[in-house]
Amino acid sequence: MQSLIRNYFTLFNLPEACELDQESLSAEYRRQQGEVHPDRFANAEEPEKLRAVQLSSYLNEAYETLKSPLRRAAYLLSLRDIDVEQVNQNDLSMDLLLEQIQLREKLDELPIDESALASLDALRSEVNVKLEKQEKKFAEFFDLENFNEAKKVYHELQFLYKLSAEIDAGEEIRLGY
Amino acid sequence: MALLQIQEPGGKQAKPLHRRAVGIDLGTTNSLVSASCGPGVETLPDSAAQHLLPSVVHYSKGKPPLVGVEAKALLVDDPLNTIASVKRLLGKSLSELKAKQDYLPFEFDEARADGAPAILTEAGSKDVVQISADILSALVERAEASLKGALEGAVITVPAYFNDAQRQQTKDAAQLAGLNVLRLLNEPTAAAVAYGLDSNDQGNVVVFDLGGGTFDVSLLSLKNGVFEVLATGGDTSLGGDDIDHAIAEWIAAQLQESAAVAVPSVAKLRQLANAAKHELSDKPQTAIVINQFSALLEESTLKKLTADMIRRTIMSCRRVLRDAGLAVADIDNIVMVGGSTRMPLVRDAVAEFFGKTPLTDIDPDKVVAIGAGIQADVLIGNKSPDSFLLLDVNPLSLGIETMGELVEKIIPRNTTIPVAKAQEFTTFKDGQTVMSLHVVQGERELVSDCRSLARFELRDIPAMVAGAAKIRVSFQVDADGLLSVSAEELSTGKKAEIQVKPSYGLKSSVIEEMLQDSQSHAKIDMEARSIKEAQLEATQLLDAIANALLVDGNLLSREEADSLAESIKALENTMTSGGSVQIHAATEELNQASSDFAAKRMDLHIANALRGESIDAVEK
Repeated sequence: MQSLIRNYFTLFNLPEACELDQESLSAEYRRQQGEVHPDRFANAEEPEKLRAVQLSSYLNEAYETLKSPLRRAAYLLSLRDIDVEQVNQNDLSMDLLLEQIQLREKLDELPIDESALASLDALRSEVNVKLEKQEKKFAEFFDLENFNEAKKVYHELQFLYKLSAEIDAGEEIRLGY
Repeated sequence: MALLQIQEPGGKQAKPLHRRAVGIDLGTTNSLVSASCGPGVETLPDSAAQHLLPSVVHYSKGKPPLVGVEAKALLVDDPLNTIASVKRLLGKSLSELKAKQDYLPFEFDEARADGAPAILTEAGSKDVVQISADILSALVERAEASLKGALEGAVITVPAYFNDAQRQQTKDAAQLAGLNVLRLLNEPTAAAVAYGLDSNDQGNVVVFDLGGGTFDVSLLSLKNGVFEVLATGGDTSLGGDDIDHAIAEWIAAQLQESAAVAVPSVAKLRQLANAAKHELSDKPQTAIVINQFSALLEESTLKKLTADMIRRTIMSCRRVLRDAGLAVADIDNIVMVGGSTRMPLVRDAVAEFFGKTPLTDIDPDKVVAIGAGIQADVLIGNKSPDSFLLLDVNPLSLGIETMGELVEKIIPRNTTIPVAKAQEFTTFKDGQTVMSLHVVQGERELVSDCRSLARFELRDIPAMVAGAAKIRVSFQVDADGLLSVSAEELSTGKKAEIQVKPSYGLKSSVIEEMLQDSQSHAKIDMEARSIKEAQLEATQLLDAIANALLVDGNLLSREEADSLAESIKALENTMTSGGSVQIHAATEELNQASSDFAAKRMDLHIANALRGESIDAVEK
């Protein structure tokens, strides 16, 4: 059985890079879950069952980390000993903050009823375009081993993902959940 | 079914011993048991050739309980000793149930010390686990007679939305009935198993399950024999019973209007409503006759009566799609489960939303039991282990209470299970040696709005300054969706852990309500959260200044001390009445006002340190 401390990329036989083949990741994840999932040990002794829960949990965590572009970015930086939790004031540019405030104002100004749904979709597309752009930028800096700049882009990505979640929450409120 | 026909390599060898395992659909209205017999998995009938066992139990003095059709026949005449829909009572406290008294005709046992709901019957006090176990026992008896031998294992289905308490009680009931539980399986997943196997589809499947008492919708992706649940949603208190209820109310209203005959009992009205609903599944209208009274129920009226319920089911579909990050166009199949999906109104609404005709080939009442039977066959070892695998998700977020009654989510909803996650926390006060941990389930940001699962304490933390201790709290959810939590102080390795069991009598509401609340209150929550955070920040500053004044208060002149006291008072006042912005402002002001004092202290301590004197010595 594999050791629990392993590089997530190695675990899934993938190159350690920003660009990632989602299909290969999913296929390899499913294959390995097929071996370690607790359902494979439904008739086994307790220690084996426990081991299966641990391995399967570890595999899930590794998969979720690599699957999400944001978490993958943080993980890649952590492999380079860069702590993304540590935010320096000058990491965040004034332009970025202004842009964030503008996007947030747009979201807050929408009426709280179904008439806002189209505008929410438009705002989501706008955020998605920015996300895509920033993800590319992150990959560029990371590949150039400019980790300081990569970290700054990571924080921008964090803002955008948070905003995107707030757009979703806004949509749910307007749909009357 | 394609997969069930797969031959083992060298299939001519002597057949390995076939082990007896069953799938059980423990339903709100009806329950079923299935097993692999011959070519495929089928539901097992009773001696009267009935597959559905009504989930009704009747208790009488000195006799074993009656389960099924005979018990159901006594519902109207002996309501106090006849218990139906016990599944709705699982995992709830007595006080929660009493709030819904109109649904429940029986008498509860008030004398139970643990606050768990139990019903007083002729045969004594029966709790919900016992009643569920009696239904399961009837199914076990049927299966053992049919399979000619003792059962070795069972897969039992639960609604995907069942919380930890409800899952645990289902498992407890199975154990009480003497069953070896191989796995608790989410009902929609079981349905997809039943359907997924006879097609080699790769793609995304929505399982729409509108049963008697619950509504579930799940989104699964099927690929290379692996079922992955991408997201689940639904409503723990929406189903065919509610449709019957709506029709019954309509009948009562018609009766009152005509005033021709007295309104019959609720149970009788329900029977009439249920019959009318079935009639309307293949007719445009039906007559409801009570003595001289007759009313015509048309499909258009039914549509009005059920519009809100159906709208809620479609909302859940939309939400699940979004949780999984998919669009309607990404859905390849929709599987219909549960008796209520026979209603044309429901089928039409689903078809319209997804732009596709839903699958209805397998009897919607049996499909879950069949899926459970297939899974039981695999888990007990009758099927090759490579056949398929089910990857489930946890339906509700799990978290921990942090300072200020806020919830820190540790495992968000729709995370694939099993899952283990850990987070580090620290002490809040200097010299703190005990940390209380409060585990909660739900989507809201404030503890009081989530369901409380368990409380426990980590003791003997070495005394340190606030923020220095590192306490790692680990959450582990197993493949059945059951949670255990442990906490460890990292410098000493001191540990405390708990297996989360249902805890009664705690403030909580129905999950569905919690979920809905979570959304509509997102805004209020955010402000409430910022206020709490601001208050926390303010408290910390006030504590720090109070401590500093105790030690070094003599450094301040009279005027300085007065002005600082004024700022402290201002913050204390704002803290209780102000919004987050005002509290922040007052905190900032106090920060400014105390900066000279802080600088003086710093100078003094540096000077002392340079002289090699400890601060303590200076104090003396």
